Amino acid sequence: MEDMYHADRATSTMQDIKISAKNVQVHYGDTHAIKDVNVEIADKTVTAFIGPSGCGKSTFLRCINRMNDTIDICRVAGDILIDGEDIYDPKVDPVQLRAKVGMVFQKPNPFPKSIYDNVAYGPKIHGLARNKAELDEIVEKSLRKAALWNEAKDRLDAPGTGLSGGQQQRLCIARAIATAPEVLLMDEPCSALDPIATAQVEELIDELRQSYSVVIVTHSMQQAARVSQKTAFFHLGNLVEYDDTDKIFTNPEDSRTESYISGRIG
Amino acid sequence: MTTSLLTADARTTKRNKAEARFKAYGLGAIILAMVALVFLLGSVLGNGLSAFQQTYITLDVTLPEEKLDKSGERDLAVMSKVTTIGYAPLLRDALIAAIEAQGIETTLSKKDIGNLISKEAAATVRNRVLANPDLVGQTVTFDLLASGRIDGYFKDRVTMESAALDSNTSPEALMIADALKDAGMVATKFNWNFFIWADASDQRPEAAGLGVAILGSLYMMAVVLCLALPIGVATSIYLEEFAPKNRWTDVIEVNISNLAAVPSIVFGILGLAIFINFMQFNQSSPLVGGLVLTLMTLPTIIISTRAALKSVPPSIRDAALGVGASKMQSVFHHVLPLAAPGILTGTIIGLAQALGETAPLLLIGMVAFVREYPAAFSPDAGLFGEPAVALPVQVYNWTQRSDPAFFERAFGAVITLLVFLLIMNAVAIYLRRRFERRW
Repeated sequence: MEDMYHADRATSTMQDIKISAKNVQVHYGDTHAIKDVNVEIADKTVTAFIGPSGCGKSTFLRCINRMNDTIDICRVAGDILIDGEDIYDPKVDPVQLRAKVGMVFQKPNPFPKSIYDNVAYGPKIHGLARNKAELDEIVEKSLRKAALWNEAKDRLDAPGTGLSGGQQQRLCIARAIATAPEVLLMDEPCSALDPIATAQVEELIDELRQSYSVVIVTHSMQQAARVSQKTAFFHLGNLVEYDDTDKIFTNPEDSRTESYISGRIG
Repeated sequence: MTTSLLTADARTTKRNKAEARFKAYGLGAIILAMVALVFLLGSVLGNGLSAFQQTYITLDVTLPEEKLDKSGERDLAVMSKVTTIGYAPLLRDALIAAIEAQGIETTLSKKDIGNLISKEAAATVRNRVLANPDLVGQTVTFDLLASGRIDGYFKDRVTMESAALDSNTSPEALMIADALKDAGMVATKFNWNFFIWADASDQRPEAAGLGVAILGSLYMMAVVLCLALPIGVATSIYLEEFAPKNRWTDVIEVNISNLAAVPSIVFGILGLAIFINFMQFNQSSPLVGGLVLTLMTLPTIIISTRAALKSVPPSIRDAALGVGASKMQSVFHHVLPLAAPGILTGTIIGLAQALGETAPLLLIGMVAFVREYPAAFSPDAGLFGEPAVALPVQVYNWTQRSDPAFFERAFGAVITLLVFLLIMNAVAIYLRRRFERRW
């Protein structure tokens, strides 16, 4: 285990590689949704997946924490390694994986429970807190990291569903980071939010980069340009181009990428 | 040419008319339904409310020691040897004495005067005496159940004309009843015994009650609730959340939907074949009734539970799985609590349906004449194994009897059944409100 970690380190370049996908294929029934995707996602970086609707970027994101397992007709082939370990190995329990790889969804989906219970649920089921004091601490820490503590500290018992849309999404982020994940997946986290809430969440994403490897799917190219360091462009199930965000938006190599970011396809 | 917005064009007028017509049809349908409901309730209440009133004759009855306890030792074993046949003449004599004391003149024979009092009254007095042997030797005031014809007379069911043609009563007897009423000896009271007493024979409709039917129905509901709810909810959770979607689950799903539409009498035949002929459970027992109704209710509960589970937004499941909950945790911590109101409502509607079901119970013998209360447990018949009847079957049973007094009782039983159903539906609405959570 230790050796493997060091070996992995040695092969990585400037930044540590957190997630490494090799020849990933995804089929939905007869539809070939993801075609032979190879990508290496760095640690402590925000990586954006962009592309037109139905290009497979969300599907690929959901492969990283095996959320696609819940869809009967979905088959995933190829290897996805996190810290050098194949997450599709039969020995891997998706439940453990998902504690390590948190996820924030498109529509804010807090549980219809109190704000406190929303954040405390993950740590509780994974046994991360030995007593109430520790749990309180995790909840506070997570809410602080999600920039929700000041707004929510006086009403932790209020239902999470009573918050505004932007607050709900930050609550979902707090819930996701409460289980101390190493990777945070975000599936269009701002598409249901107004510009002010979006700005808050984007700011938050930038801070989360300090501790996590963040992968974000977005429809907004401005957002990708603002928050990410690396950008991957998906088109019709193919990973067309993957490079530094600056390069993608200023000097893309593939003509399809250029067409997309200049608004000609999509 | 521009058109003015102030005048409606032909198309708009036509559309508005169509809309107005459609609204009128809807309103008409509702009014028709309301009229039917009012008519139904009116006829049920009109025919049945009188079952909740009962006529009693107040008499001072002398309880002579030489007739009721010859030994004079108040030994219950000895006293209970005197049957109702020993008590009936005492009541008759008391009534004759009262009639003479009031100065009412009659040509009626002693036996016919005795017939003004229900045959059940002797049993009531006997039970009172056996419960309190000190009454022997005293003169005690009793409210004695009047016979069905006298009761019917005060409820306008029996008239002088009908009594003239009736071999069980006569205008003469009714005149005595009138005179007794003028003397303040006839009382009409709320009929609590209707809910307590068991069924009674054709000769004493005034003593027929719903006690056994209510208890039998409650036993059956207990069996249905204990079996159908856990099995139904477990089936639904498995099919909805865990089962792979393939041909087999499709077949199961189609079959469950079909079972919900199977005529209930088919379940009765099934119950007869399996539970009584093959498994040798007792006929007429609430256990078999409950099992048959469980089979009948299961599809209803499964379908409504699955609908409730389906209506929980998938985002909640994603959220739970996303923080690393296992499938089971996501179902039991999040999905099931949100589906609970729907599941409870479905279950109660299923139970209400089972409570009102008659046909399958006829086939398993629950239409029997049951005079004794069933025990919940008996050593030879097991849990819920003793014969009982159920409310709807009691209604069916009473409508078959010739004495019109049973007709009134049948409607009284219908009202009781409707009240139970209303209570259950009210509970369903309450639970739905109580547990409903918004997101």
